[in-house]
Amino acid sequence: MNRMGEYRKPRIGVYICQCGSNIAATVDTEAVAEFASRLDGVVLTRVNKYTCSDPGQATIRKDIQEQKLDRVVIAACTPRMHEPTFRRTLESAGLNPYYLEMTNIREQVSWVHPAGEAATHKAMDLVAAAVERVHLHRALYPRKSPIEPAALVVGAGIAGIQAALDIADAGYQVYLVEREPTIGGKMAQLDKTFPTLDCAT
Amino acid sequence: MTTTPEPFEPRIVGFLCNWCSYAGADAAGTSRLKYAPNLRIVRVMCSGRVSPELVVRTFREGADGVMVLG
Amino acid sequence: MMDAGRHPNIRLLSYSEVVEVHGYVGNFQVRVKQKPRYVDIERCTGCGACVEACVWKDRVYSEYEAGLGLRGAAYIPFAQAVPMKAVIDPNSCLFLTRGKCSQKCVQACEARAIHFDQKEEFIDLKVGAVVLATGYELTDHPSLARYGYGLYDNVIDGIQFERLSSAAGPTGGRIVTRDGRVPETVVFLHCIGSRDEDAHEYCSRICCMYGAKQAHLALEKTGGRVYQFYIDMRTAGKGYEEFYKRMQHEGVRYIRGKVAEVVPDAENGKLLVRGEDTLLGRYVEIPADLVVLLTAIKPAEGSRELGKLFGVAVDKDGFFAEAHPKLRPVDTTTDGVFLAGCCQSPKDIPDTVAQASGAAAKAIVLLSKREIEIDPTVAEVDRDKCSGCGECILACPYHAIERVEGKAQVNIALCKGCGTCVGACLAKAIIGHHFTDEELIAQIEGIFEREPEYSFP
Repeated sequence: MNRMGEYRKPRIGVYICQCGSNIAATVDTEAVAEFASRLDGVVLTRVNKYTCSDPGQATIRKDIQEQKLDRVVIAACTPRMHEPTFRRTLESAGLNPYYLEMTNIREQVSWVHPAGEAATHKAMDLVAAAVERVHLHRALYPRKSPIEPAALVVGAGIAGIQAALDIADAGYQVYLVEREPTIGGKMAQLDKTFPTLDCAT
Repeated sequence: MTTTPEPFEPRIVGFLCNWCSYAGADAAGTSRLKYAPNLRIVRVMCSGRVSPELVVRTFREGADGVMVLG
Repeated sequence: MMDAGRHPNIRLLSYSEVVEVHGYVGNFQVRVKQKPRYVDIERCTGCGACVEACVWKDRVYSEYEAGLGLRGAAYIPFAQAVPMKAVIDPNSCLFLTRGKCSQKCVQACEARAIHFDQKEEFIDLKVGAVVLATGYELTDHPSLARYGYGLYDNVIDGIQFERLSSAAGPTGGRIVTRDGRVPETVVFLHCIGSRDEDAHEYCSRICCMYGAKQAHLALEKTGGRVYQFYIDMRTAGKGYEEFYKRMQHEGVRYIRGKVAEVVPDAENGKLLVRGEDTLLGRYVEIPADLVVLLTAIKPAEGSRELGKLFGVAVDKDGFFAEAHPKLRPVDTTTDGVFLAGCCQSPKDIPDTVAQASGAAAKAIVLLSKREIEIDPTVAEVDRDKCSGCGECILACPYHAIERVEGKAQVNIALCKGCGTCVGACLAKAIIGHHFTDEELIAQIEGIFEREPEYSFP
């Protein structure tokens, strides 16, 4: 839906990563790309050697701007690795980063299945799932919340005192809470300390 | 009309938690462990996200088995 | 210590405990309970007149002296105490326990600082970051009884040795037995309660080295024989191996073996330390005047409860759990809460200082941002659909949902976007942004799109 409330067909770009031979040796990436190109809403499909590389990301940026892509699907490694990378790519091309959908055809396909039709089919199904899902993605915006410029330090032994002094020296208010009537902790009880044998307090 | 009976290949959908089982599936990949290609994984941010309706819906779409791992 | 008491940016809240925590990274609201010390801290000059006047003077075991010295009910914990203010112990003060006392302390105090009607006070703080540095205590595991701990006067722990050796301590720095004799033989036992499946499995890490230091002091101050029973010496640390070598040259006798028991020798009043020398392969029995147990560090009492307030878990040994053992040793799983010192794991002074500065740096980085960005992939309640049943409040593992005017409301700063509430909501009133029902169903439909009637591979 656009702002007027009418449905506008999304323009989806699908990028199939070969990850060198990590994916390409097992999954027929060209076949997956061909399959993806026929999916509803997909206007562009590419197979990349390394999608996460600088040229790989530059291509995505260029496509977003020139082909007016408004959704991006990347079939590559686990999103736990590069989702933040590609979200930044979208953002730098002026697209809301939450219009990205990644699907995992390396850790969860090419690395766990033998080369062949089954692996390629699995990659196809995952790409189809990602394309269906990305249709419904919406622009999301992070919210901001102010930070209280003060710190609480609980415990006033060596660790607490050191942390409190460092934070206080940086110019922030520190509340140093100690449950005993006096600070110093165990350190205050120590005689000389090794290896220098100097005074502890 | 005759058809050659094919071995049963179940279609399994797994809902995996991003922080544990999905990471575990990634680790299986990193260690190059092998398992049957009958599984399609859906990443969720917690297995608690998966409502019974979602499971039923997955069966209705054609799944033979549904796994919720968390 | 003095610096912390004087720093203009540090407000010291001694004799105080955190009792309540609300909020989230950047915006914690913390309630601190200040226990009554029955002394007006503004008026008290630390002169010590009340300490002298207290009718219970030198009749209570001093915590600071680890039970080797005495104090009164009105006391100043030690000579360089910060703050240098008196405190009245509610557990021993005659007036506070029995309601009857001549109150000589009140008469002695020229500053009129003693107020027996003082009540506990609650102080509400707003902070952006938190550092937990609750430290350790020495174990008093029941299995220590086999070494005579708590049974014989001349079996002491490491902290008690420190007090004996300290020039400001109860003996003025003379290392003597409880009956005042200079010991001819001091025996140190390593790994007491640590590396021991009956007590604590972990290595307590500091004992090898503080044992070496105490051996040096014992040797220097008593001129007697000093033995160390060890399992193996762990001297990883800058200058540590060299220090250990130096102790061997100074004449400390290291015996590899674990002691089986410490028993009294009825004939001469000494203690018999019985064990095995595993290098010589023979049984040894050493008559000792003083036995020092190098007891394990364990997390401070109450750390588990404190952790709960901040959403910080403890590990199997009770130490605070860091977010990642290698990559995030200072962070916790609660954003904005950091760890420093032995509350996270046993560590020596250099490592404690380093971690504390690390925690401080983390806190400073956070505070210097002024604003925090909150991930938008969180849950949101559709108030029109919400029935206010509260299922989501029970389901949320992060306590991020509360009922506001009868309807659920998500605190997006606490929400981690797990979607458990979305799955739990019977009215489908919660939108899990980026993981909506519609998105997940579309994804599932996509999986079966290729050839709907056939099986997968």
